[in-house]
Amino acid sequence: MKAKVYIRGCAAISAQESFSGGFVPQPVTLAEHNMMRAKEPDYKGFIAPNNLRRMSRMLKMGLTAALQCLRNSGLQVPDAIITGTGKGSLQDTERFLHDIRQYAEAALNPTPFIQSTYNSVNGLIALQQQCTRYNNTFVHRGFSFEHAVLDGLLLLNEGNAVNVLAGGFDEITAEHFYIKSRIGYWKEQLTQPADLYTANTPGSIAGEGAVFFVLSTEPAAVRLEGLKMIYKPSQETLSQSLEAFLAQHQVTAADIDLLITGQSGDTNYDHFYHDLQSRYFPQTTSEPFKHLCGEYDTASAFALWMAVQRMEAEPSLKRVLIYNHFYGEQHAFFLLSR
Amino acid sequence: MAERVFITGMGMISAIGSNVVENLRSLRLQQSGLGYTRYVETIHKETLPVGEVKYSTEELAHMASVEQPGGFTRTTLLGLIAIREALESAGIANAAELPAALINASTVGGMCDTEKVYFDILDPQKEGTFLQYIDVLDCADCTQRMADATGIREYVTTISTACSSSANALMYGARLIQQGLVDRAVCGGTEALTRFTINGFNSLKNIDKQFCRPFDQHRNGLNLGEGAAYLILESESLAKRRGARVLAELSGWCNTNEAFHPTAPSPEGDGAYEAMKNALAMSGRTVNDVQYVNVHGTATLNNDVSEGKALERLFGTDVPRFSSTKPFTGHTLAAAAAIEAIYAVLSIGQQVVFPNLNFSEKMEELAIVPETQLIEEYPVQNVISNSFGFGGNNASLVFSKYEG
Repeated sequence: MKAKVYIRGCAAISAQESFSGGFVPQPVTLAEHNMMRAKEPDYKGFIAPNNLRRMSRMLKMGLTAALQCLRNSGLQVPDAIITGTGKGSLQDTERFLHDIRQYAEAALNPTPFIQSTYNSVNGLIALQQQCTRYNNTFVHRGFSFEHAVLDGLLLLNEGNAVNVLAGGFDEITAEHFYIKSRIGYWKEQLTQPADLYTANTPGSIAGEGAVFFVLSTEPAAVRLEGLKMIYKPSQETLSQSLEAFLAQHQVTAADIDLLITGQSGDTNYDHFYHDLQSRYFPQTTSEPFKHLCGEYDTASAFALWMAVQRMEAEPSLKRVLIYNHFYGEQHAFFLLSR
Repeated sequence: MAERVFITGMGMISAIGSNVVENLRSLRLQQSGLGYTRYVETIHKETLPVGEVKYSTEELAHMASVEQPGGFTRTTLLGLIAIREALESAGIANAAELPAALINASTVGGMCDTEKVYFDILDPQKEGTFLQYIDVLDCADCTQRMADATGIREYVTTISTACSSSANALMYGARLIQQGLVDRAVCGGTEALTRFTINGFNSLKNIDKQFCRPFDQHRNGLNLGEGAAYLILESESLAKRRGARVLAELSGWCNTNEAFHPTAPSPEGDGAYEAMKNALAMSGRTVNDVQYVNVHGTATLNNDVSEGKALERLFGTDVPRFSSTKPFTGHTLAAAAAIEAIYAVLSIGQQVVFPNLNFSEKMEELAIVPETQLIEEYPVQNVISNSFGFGGNNASLVFSKYEG
């Protein structure tokens, strides 16, 4: 794609103190479950009290992260709103399932049904900012945020937008945490985030977050060079894809100043990271991020936010590569430069 | 110059047939698929009509040649049946032969099966094969099983924008082709009836207890339906290179958001108007070039006023023939736009306009009425297909006759 795309602004609600903008990584301490909750900001100042009462947690987090991102970008109305979410508003989906059973399908309150719709956050952002243009929602596990970004790149390249609001959001609930624990998503023993990569056990720590970006053709400090997704690759296919991706952007592995990896501490799937790193980036500085935000479908949005923070703080970082996958199925590379 | 995007194959299953030929036959015979559910456990099963596919999930598994159906939801099976027909009709024996995209659409993923075992899953005392259904609620599940069954893997993703989902899947696939990321994209959607959605729409008081009556003065809501439909989109250069039979061109599209209300359109149809106008402009056609509009036409009080006003604004006093095919299929949510896209292509290929069933009286707010008769030998060159959804997500597509 020909258009040069920059990250004009961003905002993150995560388990870190990320919303204020400063990035001081601080793994949280977990008390009972392998589950990291996002630090929710004060929603007043973003959402009118009347609306706030009606909205569920995911909607509040998603809308607020999007609004803060627009503020940070000095923008009122973007040319497009595109999001990715693996699960949408889980709390509403669960509530409607429980309501159907509890009230035996009679006299149901429609609000949780409406809010459980995956595009409800997009609709809210559009409504609040009166953005009547392109609006799309991707719902595909570890390719949700990635396709939101790709869709944005397409729009910018088509010349149909100058500023695209693109984001990813997911929440974890106690009920969903239990459900996924039944098929080995999380570590069985309580594991502190600080020990995520040394525990050497299957499963990860659950997380959540809402992270938004304004992708723009107007120059800014950090440039998003490209993005590549690979579906269910073998280790060999993955290597070939990385080589092709770097070559396409005319860089070599040695040009990468910082590698951000999505290792989740899960012994079933972390070999992808270890192999790629030892083969191509033996000398490169690398940092994981999931001890900070936990594992979830759209965790790569947090990684991208973290990369932007690092590049803004450290001018020596010229090129940053993010490599993430979600339980071994959806793999993605993001390449950032200046 | 961006590549033109051609439709070279299509496959579907709905309440009026388990393939394209059966659907066309039912449309021509004016046989509706609406009735009462045999397969969804709900207290509404004898009061709320639905457009249900007339096969049990076991029968669908057989039709989809799935030998070990564990983990294959009804959503997935409907999708598999439709995508196989689409590939076959495009003369594609091996979908893995070149890098292709699978852009699927879903509103509730595998909810049809998850909701049956959800409270067993929550019960730590219970173990069993139902645990295979834990991960199928994700919309990605059906898409990936279809990708794995067909070998499509370059781009694999799922879109969910309520009732416009598969229109956006078609658009996204077309744009990936135009930008040169792939030469072929298989796009569409799949939707199975669920207790969850029936109760959702019923709680919104959006479901008619009678068979739905789009654009009728006495309309009183929609009927839900289920089905799946996929279209094979190919770049002009690929289609020519392999000598593919071109069924139609996807010549224009537009996605807008109305930013009016979470579940209701604006009374003047601003979003619908913008979507149709811009899609038509992109196609390089004018209002005079459109012979048929397959309207969203859910038969809800709001949609039909809003969409009708938008038609009158765009076309003035010369609104082309239009009809809603939802009285045939029910409103199939994520699959609706893809099912209706196939009807649009059939309209062009067969030179036919499909009737809007169950119409008796003109709406007081509108000057226009839908087409109520089947019209054969009608010179259809360009069709607009509309899909409008919750969250203000509106989409219009323009299909054009392929002239050699």
